[in-house]
Amino acid sequence: MPILLLPSTNFKFFPPKLKCVDMKLDTSGLESTSPFFGSGDELCPELSAAPSFSLPLSTDFDEFQKDTKATLKHAKGTTTLAFIFKEGVMVAADSRASMGGYISSQSVKKIIEINPYMLGTMAGGAADCQFWHRNLGIKCRLHELANKRRISVTGASKLLANILYSYRGMGLSVGTMIAGWDETGPGLYYVDSEGGRLKGTRFSVGSGSPYAYGVLDSGYKFDMSVEEAAELARRAIYHATFRDAASGGVASVYYVGPNGWKKLSGDDVGELHYHYYPVTPSTVEQEMAEVAGA
Amino acid sequence: MESIQAKQGLVGPNDPIQRTQLPYVTGTSVVALKYKDGILMAADMGGSYGSTIRYKSVERIKPIGKHSLLGASGEISDFQELLRNLDELILYDNMWDDGNSLGPKELHSYLTRVMYNRRNKFDPLWNSLVLGGVKNGQKYLGMVSMIGVNFEDSHVATGFGNHLARPILRDEWHENLSYEDGVKLLEKCMRVLLYRDRSAVNKLQIAKITEEGTTISQPYALKTFWGFTAFQNPTAGAEGSW
Amino acid sequence: MTKQHPAWSPYDNNGGTCVAIAGADYCVTAADTRMSTGYSILSRDYSKIIKLADKCVMASSGFQADVKALQKLLAARHLIYQHQHNKQMSCPAMGQLLSNTLYYKRFFPYYSFNVLGGLDNEGKGCVYTYDAVGSYERVGYSSQGSGSTLIMPFLDNQLKSPSPLLLPAQDAVTPLSEAEAVDLVKTCFASATERDIYTGDKLEIVVLNKDGIHREYMELRKD
Repeated sequence: MPILLLPSTNFKFFPPKLKCVDMKLDTSGLESTSPFFGSGDELCPELSAAPSFSLPLSTDFDEFQKDTKATLKHAKGTTTLAFIFKEGVMVAADSRASMGGYISSQSVKKIIEINPYMLGTMAGGAADCQFWHRNLGIKCRLHELANKRRISVTGASKLLANILYSYRGMGLSVGTMIAGWDETGPGLYYVDSEGGRLKGTRFSVGSGSPYAYGVLDSGYKFDMSVEEAAELARRAIYHATFRDAASGGVASVYYVGPNGWKKLSGDDVGELHYHYYPVTPSTVEQEMAEVAGA
Repeated sequence: MESIQAKQGLVGPNDPIQRTQLPYVTGTSVVALKYKDGILMAADMGGSYGSTIRYKSVERIKPIGKHSLLGASGEISDFQELLRNLDELILYDNMWDDGNSLGPKELHSYLTRVMYNRRNKFDPLWNSLVLGGVKNGQKYLGMVSMIGVNFEDSHVATGFGNHLARPILRDEWHENLSYEDGVKLLEKCMRVLLYRDRSAVNKLQIAKITEEGTTISQPYALKTFWGFTAFQNPTAGAEGSW
Repeated sequence: MTKQHPAWSPYDNNGGTCVAIAGADYCVTAADTRMSTGYSILSRDYSKIIKLADKCVMASSGFQADVKALQKLLAARHLIYQHQHNKQMSCPAMGQLLSNTLYYKRFFPYYSFNVLGGLDNEGKGCVYTYDAVGSYERVGYSSQGSGSTLIMPFLDNQLKSPSPLLLPAQDAVTPLSEAEAVDLVKTCFASATERDIYTGDKLEIVVLNKDGIHREYMELRKD
């Protein structure tokens, strides 16, 4: 007989005052000293306290995650890249989000502005990346207020890696690069939801990364001007969107230098195609004519 | 000692409480509609144990408080537990003695939360509930499913009733149904269900709720006619079937 | 053969389609009123649009019970916000709140697909579009729910606004007048109803502009 085993101590889905789940009546309202207008916490802890993640009381958490993943079909498919060069860090990305074969958005902001000196890139689950980058932004600002100095890229990337590691195995999907400028100069780290964190000078993440690497590796030199580097980044993204169906939309290019980040370009890759492959009018070799007596 | 797994919401071998996740004794469709003066609700009295019709006098429509009627299909024991809790709720509400009482709208809302919170705990009440009532001249009719899906409508039906009875109701229901016509319409629905739902039994109750109060009929049987040619020779015309 | 026994899922798909279009000084939000489960229609008159604040409405499709829980939670959070700040929440603030609310259920998600329509602090129309676990984006127009794959390409064709990521930046608001936008929404739904079984019965349109909020309805196919 299939029987589900459930723990007796449950996670709170609803605060005690609203609880009817265990079928015990809440009669505290009948007492004259009912703290109904007490502090916000007492009234409704779930609403005013810092929210915590609610977990499914499923027997098989992994299976449940797989099921929900299959039904929700998180946005996926990306090309992002970043590299360090003479003048700083160049960061670029496409803007497509797809759910299976359907393009759910062509205007995703995959380069997330953590603070004026630091950028994050987004590959994998859109919500996971957006939420944890925002969370990282908060942590970086708090570090700044506590220490009177900006957090290093090393420190920030480690904060993110540690958080993601603590959720390891729970189905988060994040593949990100943290790029920025700190007291030691330009910094670049790759961080993912499997717990990986790598320091490096050249990364590309996402389904289009093999194509981007092809262009990037063949064109990369440390001694590049900002203009040359921006063009290399843009070209790498463009070629990735050309060959990878899951990448597309707009190729955005950001540069991080000693004075913080700046967006250098945002081009529709559909139009970039004609920039890289201009249409040349071909000469007509032979005119078609009516066949006589047909 | 709480296991680490239990802390994470996962289940370990040492965690104590076990609950069944299967329905045992179940009731089939409930059909209800609004009529001129209030709400009419019908349900048969069968209690199925799997495909066996094990019980034949299960009351599946009950009055709740002064203004509401509750009908249930699905697991009978879950329904009866719910009734005990609702009794307590009504009792405590009454103890305020402030002249206020829970109406059908409030009860429906409450039931919605109960059902949804139980599904959140992965321990649902295995029922589809129909709540009808009249309060302050306002007629109310709503439904809640076992996972918390809920809505109001002029007529509702659970389970098979949604497939077999609601098309009839959509066809024939109107705002100004008299009591007699309402009962006739419900009986028509119940007869169709009796013919086509193998869990249905020919012993049913029809309940009425108006501003004046609740009345639930004594169990009775419908007149049936099994001589339709489609019943006598069901495979005629079904070419290529078994 | 293994013994068959009744199984249950904590989720159901109750269908429905939502659309929102932002204009220069208005926002049109619309959804059908059909609620289904499998091939059955549960109700032909279930409103999917709720007013969250004076200048903010949300249209949601997906699993009705989750949608209802989400609506109640947002309403409660908004009430607390009003008590603490003595003002209505702005649409961009509500947008962020909705995102966080969805994400806090990341491991047991609300199966709901939302669009948030409203007016921003400058009185411009704004639309936020979400996935079930809270990733969101401000856009000029959007569609969510069962008919979104039919409607979205049509809106792209009719309204295609320049991407907000382009540099130099171009304004992304829809060039239509309010009346034209309402007409466009009606056309979208009339078409989606033809091909999506989960869309139909009635269309509810909520228009937000400087004069306030008003609702209108249009009948859709009921088959």
